[in-house]
Amino acid sequence: MSPGVPMRLKTRANPLFLQIPLMIIGIFVILPIWGILRLAFDGSLFGRATSFRLLPQTWSFSSFLKVLDSPYQSVIFPRLLLNSILVSVLAAFLAIIFGMMLAYAMARYRFPGKKLGMTVILLTAILPPIAFVIPLYVLMTALHLRTTLLALVLVYAVFGLPFCIWNLRAGFLTVSPEVEEAAFLDGAGPWATFIKISLPLASPSIFVAGMISFLLAYSEFAIGWLFVEKASHVTLAMAVYAMVQSGNAQPWSMLGSFIILISIPAVALFLLFQALIVKRMMFGYLD
Amino acid sequence: MQYRNLILKIILILLVVSLSGFVRWKAVTTLSIDYDEDDYLRAAQQFSTLIKNKDLSGFLETNYRPEHPQLTKILLGLSLLPEKEYPLVKDSPTTAGPNVYLPRPLVKNARIMNAVFGVASTIGISLLNPVAGLLQAIHSFNVKYTSEIMLESIPAFTSFMVVLFYLLWRRENGIRRRKILWLILSAVFLGLTAASKYMYCIVGNAVLLDWVFRPRAERKQGRPGLMLALWVGVAILVFMICFPYLWKEPLPRLLDSIFYHVRYSTGAAEVQSANYPVWQPLNWLFFSPNIWQPEAFFFALDPLITLLAIFGVVRLWNKYRVFVLWLIFSLIFLLFWPTKWPQYTIMLTAPLCLAAAEGLDMLVGVPIRSLFFHKKTTKSENREPEKNEFRKALPWLIPGLFFFSLLTLIPLIYQFGVSLTDFNSNSLREAMQGGIFRTVFNGISGREAINSQEFPYTSTKLNYLGFSNYLPLLQYLEQLGIISYNLMWTFLSVLLQTMLGVTAALLLWQKRTWFRPFWQVLFILPWAIPEMIGALMWRNVFLPETGWLALGVAKYGSSFPFSFLADWQNTPEKTLIILLIAGLWYGFPFIMLAASAGLRFIPSEVMDSASIDGAGGWQRLRYVIFPLLAPLVLPAMILRAIFSFNQFYLFQAFYQFSGTLATLSYNFFNPTGYFTRGQFSIAAALNMITLVILLVFVLFFIRLENDVTRGTHAVKNQS
Repeated sequence: MSPGVPMRLKTRANPLFLQIPLMIIGIFVILPIWGILRLAFDGSLFGRATSFRLLPQTWSFSSFLKVLDSPYQSVIFPRLLLNSILVSVLAAFLAIIFGMMLAYAMARYRFPGKKLGMTVILLTAILPPIAFVIPLYVLMTALHLRTTLLALVLVYAVFGLPFCIWNLRAGFLTVSPEVEEAAFLDGAGPWATFIKISLPLASPSIFVAGMISFLLAYSEFAIGWLFVEKASHVTLAMAVYAMVQSGNAQPWSMLGSFIILISIPAVALFLLFQALIVKRMMFGYLD
Repeated sequence: MQYRNLILKIILILLVVSLSGFVRWKAVTTLSIDYDEDDYLRAAQQFSTLIKNKDLSGFLETNYRPEHPQLTKILLGLSLLPEKEYPLVKDSPTTAGPNVYLPRPLVKNARIMNAVFGVASTIGISLLNPVAGLLQAIHSFNVKYTSEIMLESIPAFTSFMVVLFYLLWRRENGIRRRKILWLILSAVFLGLTAASKYMYCIVGNAVLLDWVFRPRAERKQGRPGLMLALWVGVAILVFMICFPYLWKEPLPRLLDSIFYHVRYSTGAAEVQSANYPVWQPLNWLFFSPNIWQPEAFFFALDPLITLLAIFGVVRLWNKYRVFVLWLIFSLIFLLFWPTKWPQYTIMLTAPLCLAAAEGLDMLVGVPIRSLFFHKKTTKSENREPEKNEFRKALPWLIPGLFFFSLLTLIPLIYQFGVSLTDFNSNSLREAMQGGIFRTVFNGISGREAINSQEFPYTSTKLNYLGFSNYLPLLQYLEQLGIISYNLMWTFLSVLLQTMLGVTAALLLWQKRTWFRPFWQVLFILPWAIPEMIGALMWRNVFLPETGWLALGVAKYGSSFPFSFLADWQNTPEKTLIILLIAGLWYGFPFIMLAASAGLRFIPSEVMDSASIDGAGGWQRLRYVIFPLLAPLVLPAMILRAIFSFNQFYLFQAFYQFSGTLATLSYNFFNPTGYFTRGQFSIAAALNMITLVILLVFVLFFIRLENDVTRGTHAVKNQS
């Protein structure tokens, strides 16, 4: 050990040298985003990009305006947005409500078969969503719901449900039973205790679980197509995929600007609540 | 008690060994002639003739197929002695197909010789762990290549003996002379291994590494340098004795023999035309050769054994580190070696089966034993459930369970029913009217016979197929190599994401980082973008012809950065790299955030005291930072692993038909996709297989968690 080691020092690296690896990672991160931005703002494209450029040939916002007009067939953008919001919010709502009930029972009470139940829920939480699609497809068809927005809501709610249960259970576990008991002794019934005590205390978990379920539904594009026949039922993400599949029919700048527009809400939500999300997401699997 | 266990073990070993012999006997008598068998039979015939003519000096000059050493061929020659002479099998190039006109009595003798050594391996492994012996006995690749006229059987046996005697030498604390004897025996077998087939000497590296990296106290015993020299010296001596072809001009012939492999692996037509991806050895591990010739095998459990081995590898490391090293070394060798013939996997069957036995014990053995012998002491620690607790829970459970069962659980059960039929989009109408329930019920109760259908299914009427969807599907998955690809994809994704994520977190954590908030927000961006959007963004970069990279290469030629990836869709390796890059981009921020959260908890006093104690940069990382990071980064890694295992949108955006099981399932299902009619029942069976694999993983993690919590309880009780 050399006597001259300064205290409270993480490394003696030159800050300039630290910037080099950070810049390499930064370029890696920015590269695909830049590619889309370059497409989105290029007004000179008629189909695909035909030559390599770092910047658009002619700067233009026209593709954004076109997307905001009618991005999919003759359906207007607000209609697609409305579909997306409606489906995602309702799906998240269902997943939260039913997930919360199961999660609360799992966190608070002990009953026969609880351990098996937990294993089943964990298993469903890690299954790929596609594993639920076949029976839901048949079920929705049999109920004559398959081509309605309600079917989409239910399917997306199913995708989000296991994660919600698992995550919310962890959230309720952090609420100490003593607090609830105190409320109970003060004369509050089980329902009032839940509404007034447990729910507010677990609200960060509920918020995050709801947000994840919302985004799951908001950005799903492949499976949704199985449950849609009318153009007016398409969501934003599905419309993006339709545009991808149509190839060179539209200028690629439209695809680029569409992708940017659809990403903005998701990115905003994540950046605002990043610390909370990481904490909650990992919590469910930590205990 | 001691004796009872011993007798039990002996009976078990006898059973395993007779099973091994029986299975191999079946293979010896029924397997059709394979590639290469004619070559080695010809070599054996030459030695047999030399021995019959008492022309031992001929050994110095005879070595047909000189790329392989002589010992196996000589032993095969010995097995031919009891038979009358047949004309020498004709010399054919390595590209020739299997020669089916070989003299049958000779084939039988030589095959029996190999099978005897296959059974000997079973005995050896059973001595260490009878369950592992059982797995080796039924491992169908092992059965195949130890029952044919191949060179695998003898070195597989001798390489195991190298380790076995090495372990005995380590354990023996008694008289020194006896101790040395074990070491010499280990060296003798190493020499025999080298004289049988070169690549099996990988086992020597494993032993060496295990030997050198020991705690200092253990290493100091005796004279390690001398022992090492003895071990190597004896091995070389035995190798030379058993390889008389080298006696005349040792070095040129040895080099010629070894360099043949290098030339062969890069130049031979059959290696080129096989066109296996780099990870083909992994595919072989998840493959059973009974697909090639079902009647020769009783078992097809190779993929299962490999899966179990993944679970058992950590426990094996704690018990016998050397076997895990053996496994890792052979895998690395096989991945880098350009020739990827299936018989090469025999070199790692022994450690594989030992690891699988540990995995089996963990998943099945421990729970069963705890059921019978474990006294339930832990129960008293928890509070007793109140009497009316269940009633209290009911109002919460009923609506939640109703919704969960209706839309999650029942669909899964229904899906199992679907997998027993030929349900496709033509029979959708019948299925909607409860046809699945009717068909499955009639089928199970025997009212409707199994009515096999031609794949792809197009019948408009639902038919009951029983489990007959599963076997062909499993074989299809094995041939596609998708399970190994999926697991490899998961492993590599998580590895890369963790490396970059932790690096980024460490960089941002440094005291003197400029623009920290800017970098932080920038690095989180990929995680905030929905997965499918990210996949489309990368698609825009890598798309053939119209992607950024392709356009850049078209304009600037091959000097463009990463131009070697432009033709990614032509080679599976480059496709994997492209997908890994996109997956890395999407996945690393989450790990970075978890690691950053962990780093914030590291008190600066810890770092100070570590640097005062003289810990260098790497030491601080290894002994201070990583252990403190683990509790937060490990759960994040598990989450990423689940996500990668099920990754779908990325593969979909890059037009990959398979890749992950989820992607394949979607493509079988899609009513407007690859198969003109959605093959619902195949997709359902595929989902059931995924379910079983993931269930095994879940059970494994629950076991692991129980072990860990029991460990902490024990610690608590002690303090």
